[in-house]
Amino acid sequence: MAPSSTAATAQTSSMDPIFHILKIVPYSFLTPPRLRLKLPSFSLPSPMTVFALILLTYFMVVSGIVYDVIVEPPGIGSTQDPVTGSVRPVVFLPGRVNGQYIIEGLSSGFMFVLGGVGIILMDLALEKNRAKTVKVFSIH
Amino acid sequence: MVVGNAESMKSDLLSSLSIRWIKLKTKQQEVLIRVSILCLVYILAFISRLFSVLRYESMIHEFDPYFNYRTTLFLTQKGFYEFWNWFDSESWYPLGRIIGGTLYPGLMVTAALLYWSLRFLRFAVHIREVCVLTAPFFASNTTLVAYFFGKEIWDSGAGLVAAALIAICPGYISRSVAGSYDNEGVAIFALLLTFYLFVRAVNTGSLAWALASAFGYFYMVSAWGGYVFIINLIPLYVLVLLLTGRYSMRLYVAYNSMYVLGMLLAMQIRFVGFQHVQSGEHMAAMGVFFLMQVFYLLDWVKHLLSDTKLFQAFLRVTVTCAVGVGVIALGVGTASGYISPWTGRFYSLLDPTYAKDHIPIIASVSEHQPTAWSSFMFDFHILLFLFPAGLYFCFKRLSDATIFIVMYGLTSMYFAGVMVRLILVATPAVCLISAIAVSATIKNLTYLLRTKRKVSQTGSTEGINGAKASSKALLDRSQPFQKNSAIALLFGAFYLLSKYATHCNWVTSEAYSSPSIVLAARGAHGDRVIFDDYREAYFWLRQNTPQDAKVMSWWDYGYQITAMGNRTVIVDNNTWNNTHIATVGRAMSSYEDEAYEIMRSLDVDYVLVVFGGVTGYSSDDINKFLWMVRIGGGVFPVIKEPHYLVNGEYRVDKGASPKMLNCLMYKLSYYRFGELMTEYGKPPGYDRARGVEIGNKDVKLEYLEEAFTTSNWIVRIYKVKPPNNRW
Repeated sequence: MAPSSTAATAQTSSMDPIFHILKIVPYSFLTPPRLRLKLPSFSLPSPMTVFALILLTYFMVVSGIVYDVIVEPPGIGSTQDPVTGSVRPVVFLPGRVNGQYIIEGLSSGFMFVLGGVGIILMDLALEKNRAKTVKVFSIH
Repeated sequence: MVVGNAESMKSDLLSSLSIRWIKLKTKQQEVLIRVSILCLVYILAFISRLFSVLRYESMIHEFDPYFNYRTTLFLTQKGFYEFWNWFDSESWYPLGRIIGGTLYPGLMVTAALLYWSLRFLRFAVHIREVCVLTAPFFASNTTLVAYFFGKEIWDSGAGLVAAALIAICPGYISRSVAGSYDNEGVAIFALLLTFYLFVRAVNTGSLAWALASAFGYFYMVSAWGGYVFIINLIPLYVLVLLLTGRYSMRLYVAYNSMYVLGMLLAMQIRFVGFQHVQSGEHMAAMGVFFLMQVFYLLDWVKHLLSDTKLFQAFLRVTVTCAVGVGVIALGVGTASGYISPWTGRFYSLLDPTYAKDHIPIIASVSEHQPTAWSSFMFDFHILLFLFPAGLYFCFKRLSDATIFIVMYGLTSMYFAGVMVRLILVATPAVCLISAIAVSATIKNLTYLLRTKRKVSQTGSTEGINGAKASSKALLDRSQPFQKNSAIALLFGAFYLLSKYATHCNWVTSEAYSSPSIVLAARGAHGDRVIFDDYREAYFWLRQNTPQDAKVMSWWDYGYQITAMGNRTVIVDNNTWNNTHIATVGRAMSSYEDEAYEIMRSLDVDYVLVVFGGVTGYSSDDINKFLWMVRIGGGVFPVIKEPHYLVNGEYRVDKGASPKMLNCLMYKLSYYRFGELMTEYGKPPGYDRARGVEIGNKDVKLEYLEEAFTTSNWIVRIYKVKPPNNRW
């Protein structure tokens, strides 16, 4: 360690004169504050964090968020009863193949993710080196 | 006696078979089972796509396949060089179209090669049969690729499941039934093959596999414009591997040789040309290519330098310089116009709202609509919840290959969400990832069952390793009902998979096997009614109009008119000239006298409209009419959409706007319709497609005359009268 630091000081001493002037002129009357700034270090997130994020995006895609943004369907439909004349809510958009209401899409997307989570829990339950509480919780 | 003989022979054969079976080692048995499953899947994928042939007949479907069929016919009759130099004067009159330079020839060349090789083997087939069966044949091949891909990323079990899933997945079947002779049919095979070979190259670091994947890429480029997905996904994947510190020599070899060779090969396709070095969509691949070289250089310098501090400084300078040079090069290239900016189609995928605001001609196509959950459900069924589970398994066992399949799955799922039609691209990835989930789960469960049995057997018969067995039994008792629940879960899994199979079967037979050129409907008594009006009209055109007659229709029907009617059209499904289409849209949405001027200037002899008011066929020209107004209005501001609406509502009954009631499209659709009783108990002129009585029953035509109306009124053809004598 020591030889390298001496080498560094030797280098700074043999720098060009402009550096010396710069060293004297502003810093003779200015004291640089002691900063604790650090370059933001980039560390990779754990695979399961990434997986959780991906699951969220998957939920959004499957529930048809893009469709909701572009077509702008109502949150939930309504229809008038032909006999009584009262207005009843309609959950599923009838009559179209590629269409949905917002709530309808979100709830079905939730169901798909729920099904996926069920299979994941099954795998967790069968894992050998997992705490017993997790296993019992997952299998029931 | 004969029967007895046969029976004894049969039993003989059976016993010999069973003896042979016993003689096989376990490993050989496994191979035998695997190969026979693959063969069955191969056949299944083919025959489940034949529903359309059984239901209707061996015919080409939809719109684009008719163009492909026409060009294939030309190729087989006139040879490759004529095909390559073909200037088609029968479409886009009066502009014409250079066919050889504006199409992806992969599909036609493939079908022609199949045809020629069958001919060589003395099978006298018609080219139409080859075209009809090309897509199912390539779907079968895709299952094989899926098997090898699954084997590469997980294990052979997952590969088998993936092959079985993709064989019947509706998302893929929708585009590959017999008769749907479209680019996608072979392109999905090429896409999956390229990805498989590339992953294989990354896993082995072998130059041969990288070369093979370059050729796979070449085939893909020759077949479909979707190759842009490959040339962007692979660099993205390489970038992710670099960022996660998975850079290796294998990756370097695989990517560089694949990119350089693939690029050079792709340039041989005339339609693609120099886009790989000149277009914005392909720049990501080039950037990553240079980044790889910088990485390699850095690795080499690191190897030479022992001082880490110096290396850090060098790293910083090099990376900054490289990125700076890259950005400057991109900026200069874009500013000077050497690098073309992103096309609208590409941009509308990244920003889904873009097409809606700027490019009506893209937004007007129904298969470019964003996807609702029901479409996902229809096309993927149980794969939708197997997919996240499969992702979980991939993340649990991260490797270069699983990272690739995860990225492929995610990006393609996003694109599938933006456009219904891209569900097709997502299907292989979804099937592969779901197969991992199925395979891993079932393996877990069966493993549980089998170990149990072994433990109990050793316990009862031998009882030597008493301590071990008892400890295991203790462990078993600590998890009560585990065996039973495993059995229950296995049954559940098989129930779900069988549900998937029935769903796929039902969807294939009911929804995706319709040729859409012959329409089928349920009659009043539940019987099937066939409307063959399209072909009736096209054959009428072929037989009864002069050879050089020019037909004007909306662009959807252009390919069919040239292929089946053999007449020149003004616009067709190759929507390359927006102004020309807008002119037709303007003619359709103008008053008759104004439209006549436009039609005279385009030298139109016949006008063809599609009308569903009698049969209740809802995708007719009146329902597409607003798009004609929008596209026409995009170029000619005299056409304004509000003129055709009443309070923002589109209607054709008495309350419709006067402009709507008197425009050409309305007149041509409803000419003489006011006299017709369509439904019992309704007034005459009742439009069954929209469920209203029409507003203008007394349509008079001045510059056109009715030439032909098909038996169910679906297609109506009008003749444009010659101009009056100038007297």
